[in-house]
Amino acid sequence: MRNPRSLILIFAFALSALAGNAQGPIPNIADYRLDFTIAGIKGDSIKLSSLKGKVLILDFWASWCTPCRFANKHLVKLYNKYKGKGLEILSVSLDEELKDWKKAVTKDKITWMQGIDRGGWDSMAAIKWQVDALPSSFVVNKNGDVVAINPEKDDLEKKIKELLGL
Amino acid sequence: MKKCFLFVIATLIYIAGFSQFSRASLQASGLTCAMCSKAVKVALEKVPFVKEVKVNIKNQEYSIAFKEDSKADFDELKKAVEDAGFSVASLKVTGNFTGINVEKDKHLQLDGKNFHFLNSNTQVLNGEKTLTIVDKDFLSAKEYKKFSAATKMECIKTGKAEECCVKEGIHSEERVYHVII
Repeated sequence: MRNPRSLILIFAFALSALAGNAQGPIPNIADYRLDFTIAGIKGDSIKLSSLKGKVLILDFWASWCTPCRFANKHLVKLYNKYKGKGLEILSVSLDEELKDWKKAVTKDKITWMQGIDRGGWDSMAAIKWQVDALPSSFVVNKNGDVVAINPEKDDLEKKIKELLGL
Repeated sequence: MKKCFLFVIATLIYIAGFSQFSRASLQASGLTCAMCSKAVKVALEKVPFVKEVKVNIKNQEYSIAFKEDSKADFDELKKAVEDAGFSVASLKVTGNFTGINVEKDKHLQLDGKNFHFLNSNTQVLNGEKTLTIVDKDFLSAKEYKKFSAATKMECIKTGKAEECCVKEGIHSEERVYHVII
């Protein structure tokens, strides 16, 4: 071990082992490459990175996406159950038409943070998060790290409970 | 010289009965929500003669613009959609016509492709017209059945000219697109 050459070898081995792990760094919402600011439904603007520190579901959807509307039903239940315990949801709509979006938000009784990034698949938020299908959801822990992508509904609740320390 | 130039122009106008197909609108379907996936748009954008693809949510369709001076290959559009994991539910193609005669069950060459008009009355096409392709796998199986019953000619089943068109100077193996207008 005192031989510097063996140290270098060990170091190189450790590096290659890291590189061999295809996971790469964990995406974080504070990363400028993932951060975005979008228009909120109350006329405000929402900056993703400002939500760091919260247990968050980042959800991409659109009013015309039937599977998203189904998923909303479940999200409403989940939100009502855990909002008091610290759960936040940010929904990002890829709708082009403001009125379609607002109508769907009212109809689905969504009370959490709602933003819109008009422009469909070409909208900035969708491109940054490489969204290629709707719905797409990302679960984020208090450090801002993405810890789950598109979890099934039971896994989602389990993950939220775990992150909230329940 | 001037006379000659005019003659050329006149000939061009006379021949140029059809320039090219300039655009199309396509609907995709599948087991899952086709519009909820970016796959079809991306696949269509990769087709060489496609200039631009716009997603039209209201009509649930993709508006496809073709490159200028390109020859659109509709089978290639279908293949792109199928490779993306979906199927074509409707394909309408638009081009500019100048004095083109069409009639029911008549074959016509446009833009280097053979067309068979299934439902058309005898008429002269002028201006921008849209044709709907009704070949197998370009629409739902149910709709295809309806249109394939509209002709007794063999080519509707295979999409190839078959023996019935050989007398019109088309090779029996050549692709024929069946359309309605």
